[in-house]
Amino acid sequence: MSKKKVTLIQEFLKGIWKENPILISLLGLCPTLAVTVSAENGLAMGLAATFVVISSSIIVSMLRKIIPSEVRIASFIVIIATFVTIADRFLAAYFPDISSSLGPFIPLIIVNCMILGRQEAFASKNGIGRSFLDAFGVGLGFTLVLVLLGTIRELFGSGTIFGIQVMWDSFHPWAVMILPPGAFLALGLMIGASNWLNELGEKK
Amino acid sequence: MNKSLKMILVLTIITVISGVVLSYWDNFTRPIINEHKTSKLNKLILEILPENNSIEEMKLGEYNLYVGKKDGEIVGIAFKAEGGGYSDIISLIVGMSPDFSKITSLKILSQVETPGLGTKIVDDPSNENPTWFTDQFKNLKIDPEIIYVKNAKPTKENEIQAITGATISSKSVVNLLNTNISKVKKLYIEK
Amino acid sequence: MEEKSKIETAKPKKKDPRAMLQKLNRKPFLLKSSPHLQSEYSIEKIMRGVILALLPTTIFGVIIFGWHALFMILVGIFTCVLTELLFNLISGKKFKLTDGTSVITGLLLVLTLPPSFPISGVILGSVVAIFLGKMIFGGLGYNVFNPALLGRAFLQASYPVKMTTWILPNYAEADAITGATPLGLLKFENIFTSIKPLILGNIGGTIGETSAILILLGGIFLLVKKYADWRIPLSYIGTVFILGGIFWLIDPTQYPNPIFHVFAGGLMLGAFFMATDMVTSPVTNKGSWIFGIGAGIVLITIRLFGGLPEGVMYSILFMNGFVPLINRYTQPKTFGRLKNE
Repeated sequence: MSKKKVTLIQEFLKGIWKENPILISLLGLCPTLAVTVSAENGLAMGLAATFVVISSSIIVSMLRKIIPSEVRIASFIVIIATFVTIADRFLAAYFPDISSSLGPFIPLIIVNCMILGRQEAFASKNGIGRSFLDAFGVGLGFTLVLVLLGTIRELFGSGTIFGIQVMWDSFHPWAVMILPPGAFLALGLMIGASNWLNELGEKK
Repeated sequence: MNKSLKMILVLTIITVISGVVLSYWDNFTRPIINEHKTSKLNKLILEILPENNSIEEMKLGEYNLYVGKKDGEIVGIAFKAEGGGYSDIISLIVGMSPDFSKITSLKILSQVETPGLGTKIVDDPSNENPTWFTDQFKNLKIDPEIIYVKNAKPTKENEIQAITGATISSKSVVNLLNTNISKVKKLYIEK
Repeated sequence: MEEKSKIETAKPKKKDPRAMLQKLNRKPFLLKSSPHLQSEYSIEKIMRGVILALLPTTIFGVIIFGWHALFMILVGIFTCVLTELLFNLISGKKFKLTDGTSVITGLLLVLTLPPSFPISGVILGSVVAIFLGKMIFGGLGYNVFNPALLGRAFLQASYPVKMTTWILPNYAEADAITGATPLGLLKFENIFTSIKPLILGNIGGTIGETSAILILLGGIFLLVKKYADWRIPLSYIGTVFILGGIFWLIDPTQYPNPIFHVFAGGLMLGAFFMATDMVTSPVTNKGSWIFGIGAGIVLITIRLFGGLPEGVMYSILFMNGFVPLINRYTQPKTFGRLKNE
């Protein structure tokens, strides 16, 4: 349906900055705020969501001519739920520590509107190749923001990045950063900074 | 083809395929996950009840009791308990002497207390012994109940020292132990 | 918008006549939106008054807690002013050196910190107070929350242990054994502190909150000079007194008497110097009453039933959040409008 000429590379890149799911569309904020107490958690969450969005976009795009529009949301959810369960069990089996620290937020990827949004807005209307690139870009954008947010919160809240001590010894970690208010503060400042950068770019 | 028939058919097929895929995946991962779970629990129980050579599981009311035996004789009993802390549920596993007179060991399984304050119930980096809080419970008499004191060294055999600045977290652990131990004790003696 | 117009009323007269003439030469007509009234109060004048009013308790804090307290105060003020300047530079705003509000934010922030607080924490709190508390909202006049208290709230959540580590004042009474605050003693040990030390100030506490009488002195100066709205401290402290009194009458063994409530902790400091912050308190008289009573209810609830010993900071921040709403619903009727319109 997309009649506009969008190059494949643009299809991929738009999810990373121009239509970033978190910074621009503000989708999927619940896991974003809840799990990013460390960079590692952010990375695991981001990769799990990326896996789900890519796999379900491919399947939905494949089935887009078969699925009747009346039951499309139900079908999307079943497909997404399947991949989420696969990711959840995979983490529980091979990365039990990460799985237990992410808790219920992996199963909750099912209701992440970013993922359903991609199926509804893109994969169900575009070919497999484009859908894959779109999902990959969006997933990557999501992951990057989560890792960045996790890194900021871990750096100031625990003095480490990916568990490695980086702050000087006498640094007193700001406990607030690994508490919920820190998540809102850090995300708010990140969104503000990205808007500011966008404005700067437009001026030039 | 009839429209509603198509709807039913497509959705059913998707669901069936999804179910089949997931059941295969479950078959594949379940043993690994279970292995993690049991090994984690076993390791814990081994820490709680060190001097045993066989562990028996026993269901008692809402509790799962792990009875440690050595040469057929009971040397200790461990069970898991949960209750409210300062911010959320604190879950712990406690080892008791066979006659339920004292606690032999205590381990906090999960908690989300205030970082740097309530988390001292598990890990206190400001102390030479980071686990001093739970260590206090070793060989602690529970009769008639555990009492916590503030800013002072415990003097009696059923007293522990609360963490300065985290009285509520300390109190929660003590209350959690008092209520659950008396419950389990009653159930166990009745049996 | 109310806050804005209030600030504009308080704008100083143009001091430099040459600059005025230059402007007039460029633009033959000076067009300005209402209000056109010029007030005898200017931000600088009010801020100088507030600093003067805070001096007694500040000096007292330095005397009883020592040089570290003085160092903290200087670092706090310096960091606040510097943060404002840097932000204005980076964002390309025209900046005046300072209108004194940053000095007050820094001073108030440090006065609410424990005397043994580390200097790095003071710097962090000051940066947060000015950057997150004021500049991000658009600078003075636009901030929703009291910047000093916002900085303190950040520190409270960041360093819960250091924020509750107290030291003993230099000339404490002989029977005092720990530096714990009277409210902390009450909440965690059930020890009641008598009123005399609370008034005199030889007790544990933050740098600026210990001596009720010196704060009262400064507070009355503010009220007499009309730099602060008397309705807010009166309704705030009054509500605490009445509510505290009701609970005390119910069970005097469990709840402290209302006089204790009024003199203990940071209530005096908060009621006179923080709740009355012009930007973050209601502009209408009726609104001021609602603001003070609301803060009083929140404070008593936290002190008697909450997990924390003291709640002045949260009670004021909580009511700050309601100020736009209060302003909206307590608008007086426009002159000349019919009753039922």
